Amino acid sequence: MNGDKFRKIAALALLGALPAASALAQPVGDAARGRELVEQNCIACHGVDGNGPVPSFPKVAGLHYEYTIKQLHEFQGKRRPSEIMQPIAAVLTEQQVQDVALYFASQRAVPVDTVDASLLPLGRKLYEDGNSDSGVPACAGCHGTEGRGNARFPRLAGQFQEYVVAQIQQFAEGKRTNDKRMMQVIANRLTAEEVQAVAHYIASMP
Amino acid sequence: MKRFLIVALTGAVLSGAALAQQGKAGDYVWNAPDPEKDRALAHKADPVAGKVAYEVCRGCHRADASGRADAIYPQLAGQHTTVLIKQLVDVRAGRRHNPKMEPFVSAEVLSAEDIGNIASYLALLPTPTNNGKGDGSKLALGERLYRENCVRCHGNYGEGSAQAFYPVVASQHYEYLFKELQMIRDGERRNSYPEMVQVIKGYGDDELRALSDYMSRLVLPANR
Repeated sequence: MNGDKFRKIAALALLGALPAASALAQPVGDAARGRELVEQNCIACHGVDGNGPVPSFPKVAGLHYEYTIKQLHEFQGKRRPSEIMQPIAAVLTEQQVQDVALYFASQRAVPVDTVDASLLPLGRKLYEDGNSDSGVPACAGCHGTEGRGNARFPRLAGQFQEYVVAQIQQFAEGKRTNDKRMMQVIANRLTAEEVQAVAHYIASMP
Repeated sequence: MKRFLIVALTGAVLSGAALAQQGKAGDYVWNAPDPEKDRALAHKADPVAGKVAYEVCRGCHRADASGRADAIYPQLAGQHTTVLIKQLVDVRAGRRHNPKMEPFVSAEVLSAEDIGNIASYLALLPTPTNNGKGDGSKLALGERLYRENCVRCHGNYGEGSAQAFYPVVASQHYEYLFKELQMIRDGERRNSYPEMVQVIKGYGDDELRALSDYMSRLVLPANR
C-alpha cells in the first residue's frame, strides 16, 4: 500500500465516522405544544398524525424538521404561493413554527394502498435510475433511496400520488418556484406517463 | 445573504460574458483566471460538507460517484480537485456547454465554496475499476496513439496532473471518453486544451475509439 492510498483510506474512514453537518443542529421546539397547535390548526387537512384524510392535501408526517420550517417560512413570505396555507402560516409565531415542525417530524407516514401496480416498474426505474436520455436525475439522489428525505429535501415515501402529480405540474408551469430551479427543470423533462408512474411508486413506498 | 448576492451577480456576469463568446470557440483562453474558480480553489475545503453538497449530483453520478457506462455521466470518484473545480465552473459559466447539467450547478444551488467542498470529497473517493470498457479489438492501436501523443500530459497510468488541471482518464467510462474526444476534436467542447484539439484533429472515429478503449483500461497505481 502506498502513501497516497493510505491517506485516502484514512480520510474516508473519517468521513464515515462524522455525522452529516445537518445532524449536528439541535432542533429547538416542543412537540407536545406542537400537537396542541396541530389539533387547533392543521388537523382538518393534514390529520392529527400528519397523514391527511384526502389526497388534495399532502402528508406531512415524517417531514424533516428543517424542511417543514423552510416551507412554513416560505408560505409566510409568499415565496411559496398557496391561498390555503399562506394565511394559516402567517399567524404562527417562530416558536409555533418550530413546535409544529418538531411534532410532524416525530410522526410516521403511512404508505398509500390505492396505487396502480402496473405503473410501479417504470416508477421505480425513474426513482432509482432517472432517465439519462432526457437528463432526469434519479429521485433517490436527493430524496434518498428509501424516500426518507433530509433537512434540505422533503420526505417522499408514502406521499399521495395526486399531490405528487400536482406539485410536479406546479413546478413544470413555474407556479411553484422555491426549489432553486432544480425541480422546475426536472418536471419539464418528465413525460406525462413518467409523472404518473413515479408518483404512484412514491406513494407505494413504505 | 451578501455572499449569495455576490455569487449570483458573478454568475450573471459570467453567463453574460459566456453568451457573448458563443460561436467564437477560437477565443477560449485555456484555464484563464475566473473569480469563482479562484475562490473555489482558494477555499479551505471541507470534504464532510462536500459529501452533503454532493447530494444534488448523486441522482446522475451515483452515490459512489461511479457515473454510468453510457456516454453521458462520467465517473468522478478520484478525479483531481482542480479538474473538478474547473469543469464545474466552466459548465456553470457556459464555457463547457452542458444544458442538462447546468441547472444543477447554478449559483442558486452551489456556492463557489460548495464546489470546492464537493471536489475535495470526490477526490478522496477510490476510483472504481469496473467502469464501462470497449470491445478490446484495437488496444494495440490505442496504446500506440496514447504513448505517442497523450502520455506527456495524462501520464503513464492515465493519472493526469492536479497541478496542470489535466484530468485522470484511467478507468473512465469508454463511451464517455469517446464522446468527449469527438466533441474536443470537432470543437464542440469549447473549454478544451487548444494543443489537444490540434493533436487529435486528424483522428478518425476508429482511432478515437481505440484510444478510449485503451484509456478506459488504465488503472491508477493506488487502485491496484
